[in-house]
Amino acid sequence: MIIEISHFFTILATGLFLLSGIFAVSIKNTEYVSNLISRTYTHAFLFLLISFSLYVWLAATDNFSVLYIASHSNSDLPIFYKISSIWSAHEGSMFLWIVFLALWGYLFNFNITQANPIKSLAIGIMSLIIVGFLLFLLLTSNPFQTILPIPPSNGADINPVLQDPALVIHPPTLYLGYVGFGIPFACALAFLIRGNTEIEWELMVQKWSVVAWIFLTIGITLGSWWAYYELGWGGYWFWDPVENVALMPWLAATAFIHSLSVSIKSKRLRVWTLLLSILVFSLSLFGAFIVRSGIIDSVHSFANDPERGLYLLGFISVIIITSLVLFVIRFSKIQSMIRIKRFSKESFISINNIFFGVLVFSVMLGVIYPLIYEYLFNQKISVGAPFYTAIFSPIVLVACIFLIFSIDSKWSREFKFNLMNLPIIFSTTLSIFITFVFIFLYEIDDIYINLLIFVGFLIIFRYIFEIYKLISAKKYINPFSAMAHMALGLLLISISLNSVLSSERAMSIKIDETESYKDLTIYFQNINLSEAYNYDSIEADLLVQTTNGESFLLSPEKRRYFTRGQITTETAIHASLLRDIYMTIGDQLDDGSWVVNIQINYLIRWIWFSAILMCMAGIMLIFSKKRLRR
Amino acid sequence: MKLLFKFFILITPILFLFMFYLLLTEDNSYPGADYDTQNFPIFELETLSGKKIVNTNINDKALLLNVWASWCITCRVEHSYLMYLNKQGIPILGLNYKDEKEDAINWLKKYGNPYKDNIHDYKGSLALDLGVTGAPETFLIINGQVVAHYQGEVNETIWNDVFLPIIDEKRIF
Amino acid sequence: MNLTRKRRIYNILLVLLFSISGIFMILYSLNTNLDYFFTPSELMKREISSNKRIKIGGMVLSGSVKRQGSVISFVITDYENSIDVIYEGIVPDLFKEDSGVVALGYLQNDIFEAEEVLAKHDENYMPPSIEIKNDN
Repeated sequence: MIIEISHFFTILATGLFLLSGIFAVSIKNTEYVSNLISRTYTHAFLFLLISFSLYVWLAATDNFSVLYIASHSNSDLPIFYKISSIWSAHEGSMFLWIVFLALWGYLFNFNITQANPIKSLAIGIMSLIIVGFLLFLLLTSNPFQTILPIPPSNGADINPVLQDPALVIHPPTLYLGYVGFGIPFACALAFLIRGNTEIEWELMVQKWSVVAWIFLTIGITLGSWWAYYELGWGGYWFWDPVENVALMPWLAATAFIHSLSVSIKSKRLRVWTLLLSILVFSLSLFGAFIVRSGIIDSVHSFANDPERGLYLLGFISVIIITSLVLFVIRFSKIQSMIRIKRFSKESFISINNIFFGVLVFSVMLGVIYPLIYEYLFNQKISVGAPFYTAIFSPIVLVACIFLIFSIDSKWSREFKFNLMNLPIIFSTTLSIFITFVFIFLYEIDDIYINLLIFVGFLIIFRYIFEIYKLISAKKYINPFSAMAHMALGLLLISISLNSVLSSERAMSIKIDETESYKDLTIYFQNINLSEAYNYDSIEADLLVQTTNGESFLLSPEKRRYFTRGQITTETAIHASLLRDIYMTIGDQLDDGSWVVNIQINYLIRWIWFSAILMCMAGIMLIFSKKRLRR
Repeated sequence: MKLLFKFFILITPILFLFMFYLLLTEDNSYPGADYDTQNFPIFELETLSGKKIVNTNINDKALLLNVWASWCITCRVEHSYLMYLNKQGIPILGLNYKDEKEDAINWLKKYGNPYKDNIHDYKGSLALDLGVTGAPETFLIINGQVVAHYQGEVNETIWNDVFLPIIDEKRIF
Repeated sequence: MNLTRKRRIYNILLVLLFSISGIFMILYSLNTNLDYFFTPSELMKREISSNKRIKIGGMVLSGSVKRQGSVISFVITDYENSIDVIYEGIVPDLFKEDSGVVALGYLQNDIFEAEEVLAKHDENYMPPSIEIKNDN
């Protein structure tokens, strides 16, 4: 019964969203109409929220007459996994996705004053987008479908690999990020429709965009961290197509945020900013399409159904083409007649936009090239890490060199290079020195790696000097940008060093035996067999000693879950500031020894720490009282 | 220059989207379907009711072989459509896959039995020879030859698009 | 031709030159870094040089998995043709006989030396527990 109520409320919400959208685009905007739109939207959102809450309640109380819940949950699961089972597959996660989209719209509706000239139109556009997705949900992937009259007595269980705290929050965070860019998109579209260049939509959406960017960054970082400790491969990024479709909006969004700050400060690059806002949201939608159409076979992708793919493709096409046609129509009007001065801050940011654009294009190519290739030549291929490394290393390197020069540049003013000033000379020598120390200490012979380490340190030192100047001479610098860019420097250094220093070895070892690897001595103490409520496990105890006297116990584990018979690896990780000792256990061999894989991963924590630092910069910007405008 | 830019901005995404349209509507749009012909493998198993059954027992002119199990939720979804097909007079043979006999019999009692008989393949040996990778899967068998195979849930759309063309072509049922 | 016009054409040419060379470079590195995917039967029909990284996919032949120290060898088959594979390291959790596998590596004298072994992972489509025997 509750499921029908939940279903009904979603249908009701769809109708109300449609109404709000129709009001916004068809009736002349008066105060009365804009209040009406605002209220209709609020009610529609509340209905959707009630519907979703009921659905969550059904999942939490094991209502297996609902097909989706029966297929993805199980009464033995702890309550939070019952709830998170909602977003473990297509229908439920789509539902959550839409609720989040509507939630952003609701908060926007709540926060922006009624007097804002494009508010009600933006809300209307949001409503129409939500309607499109709700219809997709109801028509092609209905989560409210029931198994009646006799429901199964228990559900099917969710994949144990996904029964993990990080994975409970990873998809929602990522979705919040994806759909958060619906706000800047809707505002950009409203701005284009109104066609009044006086409207400052950029300032309106800045904080919204940064918040969405933060969620997207956290979501991607969580996914990377989860893959690292859960999958047992020890990597933090696999260039999996589904990771790539999250990376593309992130790259575009980062460019967008940069471009946005220029448009706010000096009304330049407005064309770029508009185009990027359309690109970011289109890429988010594209991500949903790729994951949900089954066009790509991946660890993450949901079940195949061509009908879903066609609906999504059609709807996305309408959104993208409409917005681009509008963009082209208004192009001449928005185009700034003021030329951008050479070597001004604006010029550097527009170069930055181009670099980000190239990166997005390359990742896109890596994702779709195998599809085209198979279609044309009937031959399966895949694009792996070497391609991305070959593209990212040089582009990121050159982009960072521009970044270093941009530190001294000024807004709207030409900038004369003076390479002979103290901070530049000092930080450059220091970075060269440190890089050489690394080269000799670790015998790194990869030229890109060395250059990236150098550039990473240079960025950090340059900003340290700037911060020093800020404190001593009261020269203004943007603290958020300084922090985010220093985090980028740190990210480059950690990724580079991680890729050259990390190593692994698979060894076969018997109980009571000792093996050594690099500076580690590994003693195999014993093996324990045990049983928990929904799995049994084999756990090995290995005592690891380093040459400098440190010793610790690592207990990698293998689990076999009863419900699906699936085997999972529980890695054992000894984390320290500098490196992780990462251990997994394999099978037992005929002579009684066990295969144990040991990895030494350098600076891996610093990679995630850099990402968190970037987010912190964003969070500080959100909470800063200062209006980011001259 | 401006015109070129405008043109470029519009045409690139349209090309992209069109390409995805082509990819999606490719002939093989049902990834679970294949039409490789193979002889029905030789086997010797028991039915759920304990009778011996071998490949020569499958001597119908045409029948549908459905791989199912009581632990499979998708089979539960597919079940009502199989009941419907059975009512339409289409003979369906069940292949109970890696399932405890008791569970399987209870399942059929509880939800209804669309099958004319059920092969109990506890170890999945026959399923392996057939190339089954999970449940549910459905095979169309004509005179002891597999002519169509679908992995996943059979519903009205799949029936119409994957099986009916062959059935019409061969004039069976 | 006047000056502004000349400059405009200049700009267009410059932009075109840059984008074409950029796209060329990206496509070039794409082509040199592709991994081709073959089934054992497709592999039989082709000559593949030993320095080309490829992927092969199929099922692990039942009874073919052998371990020697940390090296594991097995046979990937598509039930028509098959190929011997060797790999050093830990195979993924979902790796087992009679189930799908993808190996990435190089073909050396008809033996596939894998650098990476991936087992097929599918959410909705999982045979039950009874099949999995504990090999210990």
